[in-house]
Amino acid sequence: MSGARSRDEACAAALLGLRGMTPVRLARLLDGMGPSVAWAAIGAGAHPADPTRRFAAEARRVDPDDVARRYAQADVAVLLPGRTGYPAALAGDPGAPAVLCASGDPSVLEARPAVAVVGTRSATPYGAKVAAELGRRLAAADVVVVSGLALGIDAAAHWGALAAGPDAAPPVGVVGTGLDVPYPRQNRALWARVAAAGAVLSEAALGTEARPLVFPARNRIIAALADVVVVVESHRAGGSLYTAEAAARRSIPVCAVPGSVFSAASAGTNELLVEGCVPVRDADDVLTAVALARQGRGKSGPAPSTAVLHRRPPDGPDPVDRVQRSVWEAVDDTPTTVETVLLRTDLSLAALTAAGQELVDRGLLKAGAGWWSRA
Amino acid sequence: MIASIPSAVLLGVDGRPVSVEVHVSNGLPGLTMVGLPDAAVRESRDRVRAAFVSSGLPWPRRRITVNLAPSGMRKAGAGLDLPVAVGVLVASGVLDAAAVAGLAFVGELGLDGSVRGVPGTLVLADALACHRLVVAGSSLDEARLAGGPCVSAPTLSELVARCTGRRPWTEPPAPPPPGDEPSGGAVGVQAGDLAEVLGQPVARRALEAAAAGGHHLLLVGPPGAGKTLLANRLVGLLPDLDIPMSRDVTRVHSAAGELASGAGLVSRPPFRAPHHGVSAVALIGGGSTAMRPGEIGLAHGGVLFLDELGEFPATVLDALRQPLEDGIVRVSRSRGSITYPAQFLLVAAMNPCPCGDAGVPGDCRCSAAARARYARRLSGPLLDRFDLAVRVERPDPTSLLAAGAGEATAPVAARVLAARRRAAERGVVANSQLASRTLDQSAPMDADARELLERQLRTGGLSARGLHRVRRLARTLADLDGAGGTLTRPHVTEALFLRGGRSLLLGEEVR
Repeated sequence: MSGARSRDEACAAALLGLRGMTPVRLARLLDGMGPSVAWAAIGAGAHPADPTRRFAAEARRVDPDDVARRYAQADVAVLLPGRTGYPAALAGDPGAPAVLCASGDPSVLEARPAVAVVGTRSATPYGAKVAAELGRRLAAADVVVVSGLALGIDAAAHWGALAAGPDAAPPVGVVGTGLDVPYPRQNRALWARVAAAGAVLSEAALGTEARPLVFPARNRIIAALADVVVVVESHRAGGSLYTAEAAARRSIPVCAVPGSVFSAASAGTNELLVEGCVPVRDADDVLTAVALARQGRGKSGPAPSTAVLHRRPPDGPDPVDRVQRSVWEAVDDTPTTVETVLLRTDLSLAALTAAGQELVDRGLLKAGAGWWSRA
Repeated sequence: MIASIPSAVLLGVDGRPVSVEVHVSNGLPGLTMVGLPDAAVRESRDRVRAAFVSSGLPWPRRRITVNLAPSGMRKAGAGLDLPVAVGVLVASGVLDAAAVAGLAFVGELGLDGSVRGVPGTLVLADALACHRLVVAGSSLDEARLAGGPCVSAPTLSELVARCTGRRPWTEPPAPPPPGDEPSGGAVGVQAGDLAEVLGQPVARRALEAAAAGGHHLLLVGPPGAGKTLLANRLVGLLPDLDIPMSRDVTRVHSAAGELASGAGLVSRPPFRAPHHGVSAVALIGGGSTAMRPGEIGLAHGGVLFLDELGEFPATVLDALRQPLEDGIVRVSRSRGSITYPAQFLLVAAMNPCPCGDAGVPGDCRCSAAARARYARRLSGPLLDRFDLAVRVERPDPTSLLAAGAGEATAPVAARVLAARRRAAERGVVANSQLASRTLDQSAPMDADARELLERQLRTGGLSARGLHRVRRLARTLADLDGAGGTLTRPHVTEALFLRGGRSLLLGEEVR
């Protein structure tokens, strides 16, 4: 039993690590087929979902047992739908990952309500304070705080949950990179603490680096795991609105924390409120929403409108120049110090100032004394 | 009978030879001292007499006249006690003139006859290089740094015994040749390690550039952002002093009486951090007689750190402008003028505004007028001297908790040393000294970078002098990154950014 099972996990991990594998392709390959069967079929070039045999050659070179050893060394568990450890909340989800990697103990999600606390990476002190307070009080009320381990709101929420002490509910992080690639690097310590106290989940193979598209995909898992999604701060068309949109599609209540109408960091959340999301001021409001959500599980009330969630493509520099694009993305609508941008982009100061000057010259950024903001 | 004993007194950071002439003749017993002695010198007659009595030496019951030649120059300090005493001994016939031939004396006498060291022994020994110098035992190490022959005597009676040959000069083991091996004397605070600074990437880069290029650095930030912490670590990034500089620094510290006994040549750059209550004289140097070097003289070869720059009186700050430009201080008094070396790296820290929180717009509670008033405390010409003016932010708590240790001093110091070697190939100690007319050879720019600077000049964002300073800074930044040859746009934009300038204080929008 355990032999067949570990073979399944090894093959699933090996599938996950094949070059060009995406969550969608993986789901198709494993649709109605066990991982070890699917692996053998791919290697033989006979898998019906892989008619072009794009994975066949590589699959023949990879030994699933080697892959399994690597995962064991990294202390990363491979979770499969329907098996122990795979989060029950994901089981019936249409976008559920076919293979999920976990470090820590994913069973902390069992028998506890979960709340996703998400928001912008460039949080204001207000947003960070709210997120930390929500994280701490929710964890103390035995609610699992789920977040994305990004900078800003996500980090503040998790630090808050950890601050609630060892007796509180452990936090769960859902990340877009491989579990051995902590990203962003500033959150390395937080990442380890969350894994030690609760769990960090990822649908990416070990060694997967940060790429732009993995984060919106990761957001759907955050939404699916939660009973309630709380957006603390979000810019207009910010990334956390993906999470809100994913939750809305699943009829999971979305709550938003009101902010100043002059604050760019609250533009997205305030718009959510206008669209009819539940306003929350503190953990008590969230806990009420959680109780309502669990009571009415299955018979969802009116879902928040998703009209606002249809993002228009953000303005900005041509995506062709990747450096300028990343600088522009790291600058907020409100003045952002160059040091903050430096920390967000990981560029050298010379490269950053050159790209920044270019963006200022093109009228896309405003420059102040030691800070930039989007024009 | 008459005796003439060579000695020296301190004037600024130089020793001036003084000949102590003693005449003993018949007349009313007593001692008269002429030749512009100051109070400490005049008091020496009481010390000398007491030392004679305590040592069991006969004090002549005759008229003693002491003349300090050249008699037109003011003499200060207690170092003339010993030559006066020896002069009296020779003039009264206790010692043979031949016994002290070729000897010079510097030292203070205690009432019990003991010989004590005086400040500035190294400098005085330099001035008396053609004599065999007799000093106090505690000053012997310092006197030897001058390179000339020197001996010591613990007490006046022992000195007599040694001069007459009844006892040998106990020569301690020969010292290592001075200068070849600075023995690691450090002055000022012990520098902490850069690894203790978490985050602060921009300020770290500025600190590295300041150390590598000798560019003056202004750190602007709210209280508690770590400005002082950073500045204290700058001195650790600087390379050891070379031998001539090491000698100069040691001389200045000797003249100021701040040289630790037995420490040898000062080999590490000094770090001076005067409080903002400092007077102009204490900062620049001076005083009525000895013209002691000030803080900037003591910072020669090292770092002068002015914390809370906005709190220094404007007159004190503007006194810095000439030394910053010339690398020397000229102190003029009615009795003469003195020149000190003062090549130092100026590092200053200040709050951006009275409340301390100004940064990005909206953070600060001060009115624009209050901020402008605060910024006006620094004169434009002084602000212009800072090639590097950067904001230091309070690190946000998340990154403080999450970040590991920063890069340590050692690897950064290695990059600084490599950059200084590149500067040495251009014939200067550091890039900040590159002459404007040689910039086209030493810091050529590609067309892209040139276009950017031309635009800055035209829009008034940069003065002509500022242009040269930006090029020197860009040169340093490129050197640190190991990019020789032509300067490209990134290093020029980085230099423009790190220069910051006045707008940093006002928080105003640049364009």
